[in-house]
Amino acid sequence: MKRLVQGNEAVFAGAVKAGATYFAGYPISPSSEILLLAAQQAARSPDFHFLQAEDELAAINQVLGASLAGGKAFTATSGPGFTLMQEAIGWGHQAEVPCVVINVQRVGPGTGMPTMPAQGDILQSQYGSSGDYYPIVFYPNSVAECYRLTVAAFNAAEESLSPVVLLSDSFVGHLNETVDLEAMEVEVVARQRPPLGTGNRFFTGLVHDEEGRIRTADALFYQSWLGKVREKRDGVAARYPFYEHRERPGHDLIIAFGILSRVIAPLLDDFALFRPIRIFPPLVRELRSITQEYRRVIVLEANDGQYAQVVEGIVHRDVIRVSVVGGRFSAERVTTALKQALTSV
Amino acid sequence: MFKDLLKTHLFPTSWCPGCGIGGIMAQLAMAMDEMGLNQSNSVVVGGIGCTGRMAGYFNLDSVYTLHGRTLPVAQGIKMVNPSLKVIIISGDGDLASIGGNHLIHALRRNVDLAVLCNNNEVYGLTGGQAGPTTPQGTPTVSSPDGSPYEPLNLQGLLKTGSRYFYARTTVYHQVHLKRCIKEAIQWPGFAFVDIASQCIENNGRRLGFKTGYEMLAMFRDKYKRAPDGVESLAPLEIGLVKRGEEQP
Repeated sequence: MKRLVQGNEAVFAGAVKAGATYFAGYPISPSSEILLLAAQQAARSPDFHFLQAEDELAAINQVLGASLAGGKAFTATSGPGFTLMQEAIGWGHQAEVPCVVINVQRVGPGTGMPTMPAQGDILQSQYGSSGDYYPIVFYPNSVAECYRLTVAAFNAAEESLSPVVLLSDSFVGHLNETVDLEAMEVEVVARQRPPLGTGNRFFTGLVHDEEGRIRTADALFYQSWLGKVREKRDGVAARYPFYEHRERPGHDLIIAFGILSRVIAPLLDDFALFRPIRIFPPLVRELRSITQEYRRVIVLEANDGQYAQVVEGIVHRDVIRVSVVGGRFSAERVTTALKQALTSV
Repeated sequence: MFKDLLKTHLFPTSWCPGCGIGGIMAQLAMAMDEMGLNQSNSVVVGGIGCTGRMAGYFNLDSVYTLHGRTLPVAQGIKMVNPSLKVIIISGDGDLASIGGNHLIHALRRNVDLAVLCNNNEVYGLTGGQAGPTTPQGTPTVSSPDGSPYEPLNLQGLLKTGSRYFYARTTVYHQVHLKRCIKEAIQWPGFAFVDIASQCIENNGRRLGFKTGYEMLAMFRDKYKRAPDGVESLAPLEIGLVKRGEEQP
């Protein structure tokens, strides 16, 4: 049935659809609706477990434990809480624990401007933990996509045996749109690995080989291991090559994602749009071929050029960076920023 | 055989000669064997530090968590599968310092976990820094003039709620240690075993001990058994205090 659904609500519905049975979280706006829905779900269903954690460090580690015990598990937070979870996200990659982390972004750094929308955690979602690791990151821009991509995030987590990040922002999270979630067809990947209590495996954040033996003094092992980790991630990510391309030959190309890709709707008669939905790993082939079709490439984002760095590193050419920061987004503000940037080039 | 519960092919362990952790591992394996715990009904969760490495020597599913995070990981496991016995083995630094907030809240929630705390009064793995349980005045590499603070009162902390299980024992008192471990695993709630243990290399030698055995002998001479049924353990008493077993 069609009804008004909020972005955060669609995320939660997607998690349930994907088979999630465990949520732990710490309240933080603008993500808290997801925590409240999880509490309500647990009150209704004995198969769904909810824990309001003592802090975000606890929340993500509870999620990791729950996942190892056999539950599909997730948490939701916002920028500062996402930062607190980073160490454990890295551990989840090392120990190979599937889970989903939702970050409904707000203006930072620090406590920032609670809870105005921002896209300031783009690089944090890829580089926030220590060492080299290769997270898959999705970023929806509509309520329907919040639902679909949450399911995709759970699926990718199962396939990659790693934490997958779903980025949102307080605008997308609080967006209400009319959708029929029940009618949306999605594929769900089942849990493959047997739960704890069935073997003699050693799940560790130490570098280890496939038999679980610790390999902390072997540089060549590490080098080959890291390559395999990346290859595996790339293989999984290749099943999720999500993007949107609105062609406008002869015009300039705007690269935008999340809420800003919605705000610029009135400008799309005059600009082409490339919207990466899978933010990481970046859509290298698509970015290279599509940007070649346009004379000028603009990366428009609600941070100071984080994804522009990524794009420049891929397309090997200068892009025009347009930052709309501070949380107030409007077509007028974006138009002004675009005009300024384009006339100063 | 309790040895079947251990991955003996990985021996010798990573611990220094004279360390107390092996004595805890042996008693835990024996206790588990006597209680019928095995791969199908138990999980061992370790935290960062020398003690946490014990998880990897158990021949059943085990998790070696981040520093301080044994309790949340164990809690997630227990919520999804309440039928598993979840045994936590970690050090005083991991449980009481970096994981202190989780200790308070696992306690408040009375999560059904057995926590074995290898309490050697020092950060051993990182080289002998002062920790939350270092006695005031004890010199360490990070407190050359003696640790300036009173140690955390673990018994007092553990007894803040209406239901609790706190046992204190030592690596010298092996029979008592095993009894405490078994009672903790059987306890229907949050059970904490505070095990005085020796770190000869990164604590004992600085304090004038020449061998691990000298430290064990110190436990033998200093610690006395508390009478059964006491409400509180005096300093240097081994025994256990518990309340609220009859409640669900």
